[in-house]
Amino acid sequence: MPNEGAAEYRSRVRKPQDFDAFWSDVLGQAAEIPLDAEVVPDPLRTSDDVEVFQVFYTSIEHVRVAGWYCRPAWRAARTPAIMFLPGYQMDPPIPKEWARKGYLALSVAPRGKLRSMRQFNPGYPNLLTHNIVDRHTYAYRGFYVDAWRGIDFLLGRPEVDPERIGVTGSSQGGGLTVTTAAMRSQVRAAAAGAPYLCGFVDAIELTHTYPYEEINDYVRRHPERRPEVEETVAYFDGINFADRIACPIIVNIGLQDNVCPPETGHALFDRIGAKDKVLYPYDGHGHDAGRATHGAVVDRFFASHLLGRELSA
Amino acid sequence: MDPTSPGFRDYWQETLEALARYPARPEIDVVPLRTTPFATLYGVRLTSVGAYRLFGYLSIPAGAGPFPAIYYSPKYQSVLEIIPQGTANLQRSRYITFSLAGRGQRNADSPYAAMFPGLLTERIDDAASYVFRSIVADSIRGLQFLLTRRELDATRLVVSGNDLALITAALAPGATHVVTAPALFYDTMALAPKTHAYPLEEINDYLRAFPAQAEAVRATLAHYDLRAFAPRVSATTLVIAGAPGTLLDRVTLAPLITALRGPVTVHESAQSLYKDGLVTERWMAAQCGIEDVQAILPEHWRKAV
Repeated sequence: MPNEGAAEYRSRVRKPQDFDAFWSDVLGQAAEIPLDAEVVPDPLRTSDDVEVFQVFYTSIEHVRVAGWYCRPAWRAARTPAIMFLPGYQMDPPIPKEWARKGYLALSVAPRGKLRSMRQFNPGYPNLLTHNIVDRHTYAYRGFYVDAWRGIDFLLGRPEVDPERIGVTGSSQGGGLTVTTAAMRSQVRAAAAGAPYLCGFVDAIELTHTYPYEEINDYVRRHPERRPEVEETVAYFDGINFADRIACPIIVNIGLQDNVCPPETGHALFDRIGAKDKVLYPYDGHGHDAGRATHGAVVDRFFASHLLGRELSA
Repeated sequence: MDPTSPGFRDYWQETLEALARYPARPEIDVVPLRTTPFATLYGVRLTSVGAYRLFGYLSIPAGAGPFPAIYYSPKYQSVLEIIPQGTANLQRSRYITFSLAGRGQRNADSPYAAMFPGLLTERIDDAASYVFRSIVADSIRGLQFLLTRRELDATRLVVSGNDLALITAALAPGATHVVTAPALFYDTMALAPKTHAYPLEEINDYLRAFPAQAEAVRATLAHYDLRAFAPRVSATTLVIAGAPGTLLDRVTLAPLITALRGPVTVHESAQSLYKDGLVTERWMAAQCGIEDVQAILPEHWRKAV
């Protein structure tokens, strides 16, 4: 049975007046910090067809961020690249499959994730509410920048074609895909699945499952702080970044998504600024958002926009 | 490996005896932030084999028990969840839930911090010291702890997880029901080369790097094959098989399903977390005599029922 009301839902998300100024300031601070990228071969994970590297770079607050970087063994001098962004509790995967499809592939582990937790480790659950009363120290301030700096890493690689960079992920990775596409004009195509971090204030009323339930736990314990919480998350809401997206983007949602409510996916999609945007709603699907069949859609999308190749449906 | 062979029996008997040498010594502390009007959450620290301190989240419903319980055995991921992502928090109003971090996972990552990928092949060339031998003991220790809770209705105790759920139910008494989604230890040496996906890709990586260790790896994995544990499982079991045609589908798992001693229900994944999740929630509720399952489903699943 389709979730009929999701598309008509009216989001409560409002953009703060100084939203752009806030992020401009953050980006300015980040720009002063050298990336200091390090690329270390990982022979254990490398095979005949895919070279695997552990990578590290420095982000805002001088936090060292880890990632996995995969290269197709056979590639052009300048090859398209895809950045993969992880889910909330996912351990960032080694993106070999993207390399097998012909892309240079970076999988980022933002601060607090495994391999990036030495300097910052609020834990799970907790990341979502870490310093949630203060936008200047909220966990996702640095976390977002960590993801965006992944684009800087790719731009610094001589084998990456800077005109053909894509970004993708699902759940938290979907939310990060949205913010990255919004904040980095070098992104030429984006595919966001079941986007999390979009519609915070809506989601905590529409669903009572973790991770969003962390916020409900927090405001139940500290009800007097709810205004500050709502003020903070408005600066981090993917819906408020969406009008800045100019590249082609596809979004897939599950109409029975119990983690990231489909209502928030619709609200996000409505606010995306790109003209070339397509929503794929999957009825009968939860937080997988139709992944089993949508994977081929994503493959065709990136092949068309980054490889210049049309794959058959 | 033949489950009746001395090698298999002795290996696990020695593991259980080693575990028994360490008292659990639980420390149980309320976690006020995650406590609700309908359930109290506790952080639990307890000792496992090798004198290793573990951590788990124990949730006890409000009201008079006894209550059925779901034991979420250790997973192949760094993060320890209170209840699995996407589960309605209200599940905690009907069931005791206990989720345990095996050694290496967050909150149980000192002194050993596991890598993902990496855990599946940690010391895999030596069955005696293979990391999963201790993790199985950890999982059993968690079940033993849960059985000590006076709020528990011991006639309704579901162990839920991947392969470890089944192995735990096979090696230790207490599980009345099992929900298992095999991922690690079913015919691993044969299936790993058929996939590039982790966690089984760990095996491929390892054997590519250390081909001389192939026989040692095979010997270790023989102690963990689910087919060897199945005849010891008398609990009522729900097997979550892969979708038809996938690596661990019903056809592939048929020998395991046949070998389980207790009643078995098989669900073939619909490749929908909604449909698969709904089947699991309903099955557990039915098995545990919970009649108002609708009330403890996620909001977006209730609308669709």
